[in-house]
Amino acid sequence: MSSSTDVRPVPAAGRPTPPPSRRRRGRGGRRQGSDRAPFRRFHLIIYLLLGAVAFSTAGAFAWVFNVSMKTNTEFIGTRPWTVAEGWRWENYTDAWSAANVGSFFGNSVIVSISATALGVVLAAFAAYPLARIPFRGSGLVLSVFLLGLMVPWMVTFIPLYVTMQDLGLLDSRLGLALVYATYNLPFNVFVLVGFMRTLPGELEEAAAVDGAGPVRTFLRIILPLMGPGLASVSIISFLQNWNEFFYALVLIHSPERMTLPLGLFQLGQAADYGTNWVTLFAGMMITVVPVLLVFALLQNQVTKGLTAGALKG
Amino acid sequence: MHRAAQRRIIIPFLLPALLLLGVFFLYPLVRTVDISFTEWTRTGSYHYVGVENYTRVVDDPGYLNALKNAFLFTLVGGCMLFPVAIAIAWALNQRIHGERFFRFVVFAPVVLSAAVVALMWKFVYHPTLGLINPALEGLGLGALARTWLGDAATALPAVAFVTVWHGIGIWVVLLSAGFERLPPDVLEAGRIDGAGEWRLFRSVMLPMLRDLFRILVVLWIVQSMQAFAFVFIMTGGGPFGSTDIVGTLMYRVAFERSEFGYAAAMGVVLVVIMLIVAQLVNKVMKRDELQY
Repeated sequence: MSSSTDVRPVPAAGRPTPPPSRRRRGRGGRRQGSDRAPFRRFHLIIYLLLGAVAFSTAGAFAWVFNVSMKTNTEFIGTRPWTVAEGWRWENYTDAWSAANVGSFFGNSVIVSISATALGVVLAAFAAYPLARIPFRGSGLVLSVFLLGLMVPWMVTFIPLYVTMQDLGLLDSRLGLALVYATYNLPFNVFVLVGFMRTLPGELEEAAAVDGAGPVRTFLRIILPLMGPGLASVSIISFLQNWNEFFYALVLIHSPERMTLPLGLFQLGQAADYGTNWVTLFAGMMITVVPVLLVFALLQNQVTKGLTAGALKG
Repeated sequence: MHRAAQRRIIIPFLLPALLLLGVFFLYPLVRTVDISFTEWTRTGSYHYVGVENYTRVVDDPGYLNALKNAFLFTLVGGCMLFPVAIAIAWALNQRIHGERFFRFVVFAPVVLSAAVVALMWKFVYHPTLGLINPALEGLGLGALARTWLGDAATALPAVAFVTVWHGIGIWVVLLSAGFERLPPDVLEAGRIDGAGEWRLFRSVMLPMLRDLFRILVVLWIVQSMQAFAFVFIMTGGGPFGSTDIVGTLMYRVAFERSEFGYAAAMGVVLVVIMLIVAQLVNKVMKRDELQY
């Protein structure tokens, strides 16, 4: 260990310091209250810091919600934090049908789910030979996949646009889903190869002894063991596809095929020049609430998947 | 026999994924380089012009301005991001009450689309209808109020702040994982020797996390050099080009001026610059590997 990490004794100042092992293993949910550290003075600073962060996030959303309940004249005429005069839920129905947020929502659901499914299934199939069958060129194939993690994918948009035009996939949901699936592949393959390599090598041999072919072994033995890995990459791919903006902007032109981010952007442009702000705010709430609800349920999966992808493997 | 059977599935298993990757990533990637040596006309026909696009890129004040802004964006954003992210990650590792709630709130913006967050903050920054200026006036600090996104001096930091606000959860999660993997016995030894929390943080935790910081800084640079959605939605590159970055410039050159070849050259130059910068940062921050 280098000298900078050595712990140098500090002349014992003031209060005698602390308790036995405060280390914990495993996170989220499984800790009981009694397990928590006793309150100490510096915790106040922590609460202030985290409180400020929480306040800014919650405040921003509360503001959006409040505006979505106002009328346009109220929005211009009153102070920003004045509470809306009534519950104007009709702003939401306006946004959903008149401003097409419902159709954007539907498009986003179709595109993100199909792209995520395709990207995860193909990545799982590709990861299996790369992780568990030694063959010549496997290193090369893997690095071709990983190239996709290193090259900024935005740079290829011009030929992609031209290619999509040639294939007749420009301005279509199918085309967008295929592009999203492709851009999910490198990360998914990277994570799944890492996961599959941790499985014991005897699995395939035992299956072979029992007379299972490699396809059967993969489908019946390897895949079921990959549950957590598949869940991680599915959630992360889905979030990415749901929120993607740049390729939707480049590849989709007709309003009836736009995804939520692109549709809201168009609505925002219209609000800039027009006067229909409250519908835009209602549209933002419609976009935000389902994602936050799903995230609240899957919080641990999402964050775990993120660390698995970025730090291990 | 078992091996032979396994070998037969290699190609069918790999092929579908490779096909997609080939059509929608590798082929466009190669073609980007090819297109960067051509000049396109509005009708879609093109001819090769050699390195002309590259010589143009090098003296284009618009491109140099975009590069400068991209670096500034990375720097300003990084200064906003890392101290706060490290502080939050450290705080979340202190076993406090409501940890799960705070983790949720810090990470929540990450799952929202950049488009929504950018639109929301565009309104928050709005000089009269937004939250910031009226709040400043309410506090008697009216002198600080300004048109945040319309002022060349504040637009770039304002956009960088929103990018950081949106993405900080990811960095907190990654840093948090780093803090958690610190060996408990070393921290313990520090505590027994009488080190306070601040001292432990500064003299033990930070040095031990240096490898992680290096990776995260490189990641931040790579990521923020390709920022697009926030700038495009919030300012569109204005005012007076003060927030124009390579992504927005490329988009305009390609789709408003239909100069596909020139835009492709801008992209290729960006990739090269990014790779060089990432290598440099990696080298500068590299110290002997820590084993623990």
